[in-house]
Amino acid sequence: MNVMGEEFETDFWKEVSDRATWDMIVPGDLRETRPVTLTKQIIQDFARKVGEDNPLYFDEAYAKSTAYGGIVAPPSIHLLLMFACTTSRDWMRSPGTINAGQNWFYNVPIRPGDTIEMRGTALDKFIKKDRLFAVHENLFTNQHGQVVCTGRGQTIRPV
Amino acid sequence: MSAQAEFDKIAVGEVINGRSFTVTTETIQDFGDASLDYNPLHFDPDWMQKNDFGGTQFGTVIMHGMQNFSLITRTLTDWLVPRGGYHRRLETRWIKPVKLGDTIMPEATISRKNLTDGGNWAQFDVVVKNQDGEPVATGQALAEFRDTIPG
Repeated sequence: MNVMGEEFETDFWKEVSDRATWDMIVPGDLRETRPVTLTKQIIQDFARKVGEDNPLYFDEAYAKSTAYGGIVAPPSIHLLLMFACTTSRDWMRSPGTINAGQNWFYNVPIRPGDTIEMRGTALDKFIKKDRLFAVHENLFTNQHGQVVCTGRGQTIRPV
Repeated sequence: MSAQAEFDKIAVGEVINGRSFTVTTETIQDFGDASLDYNPLHFDPDWMQKNDFGGTQFGTVIMHGMQNFSLITRTLTDWLVPRGGYHRRLETRWIKPVKLGDTIMPEATISRKNLTDGGNWAQFDVVVKNQDGEPVATGQALAEFRDTIPG
């Protein structure tokens, strides 16, 4: 079972015709997003499934003894947020989307109970050889309006 | 020990070895269940057999590229956290697809130490190699050594 539970649609072929193709992606347009609350359960399920076993993510007494002051999420939690905060019509779900590399900056750590909002756009699109590329930019903030992390990546779009 | 003292102890050229990771259908399922990325590239062998991605025939399911990203992250944070280092940035590129049965190994090397107005920063070159020693992902990372956590 995925870490968000049964409501998350895992069949990426559903709604495939509702998703933007490369031609329809407009750089600057906001992607449709929704806020997601990350419980301790979600954070720790995520951590276990990606093989994170640092006590900082699991052991409250240890985490309290560090500068973090309590359990936090692994920085890579944005992997989950990119899909959790978007809808099943989002073009990042299109089958055949190939990730070509990513850059992420981490600001404030995510803590259990945080509600995260995503602002996502395409920043650019281009053709290289015979491949169609889109550059995307994501900004994640917490319920205090603090930036938790920002990322930019490139995907090769399915033809 | 203060973050400043820990920063003074680290040396350019120091190598941080991550744990080796062998790709199975189970690891791909776990990564999909964690990241919510259910792209058939990683789950549907029949579709991968017949699909030609504009000239790249993979022939079989491939590991999520972001699995490299998360293994590099773990390598860095497991080393940084006890040293008062805060993981600030990771930039990655995929060089070669990773397939079922491949064993990959992340590695980070401290490439530079920088002092800014108020900070102690370390740069890392990162690479993930497969069982043949070929790089499958490369990148750079940045960590800040500080006594407090932002936020």
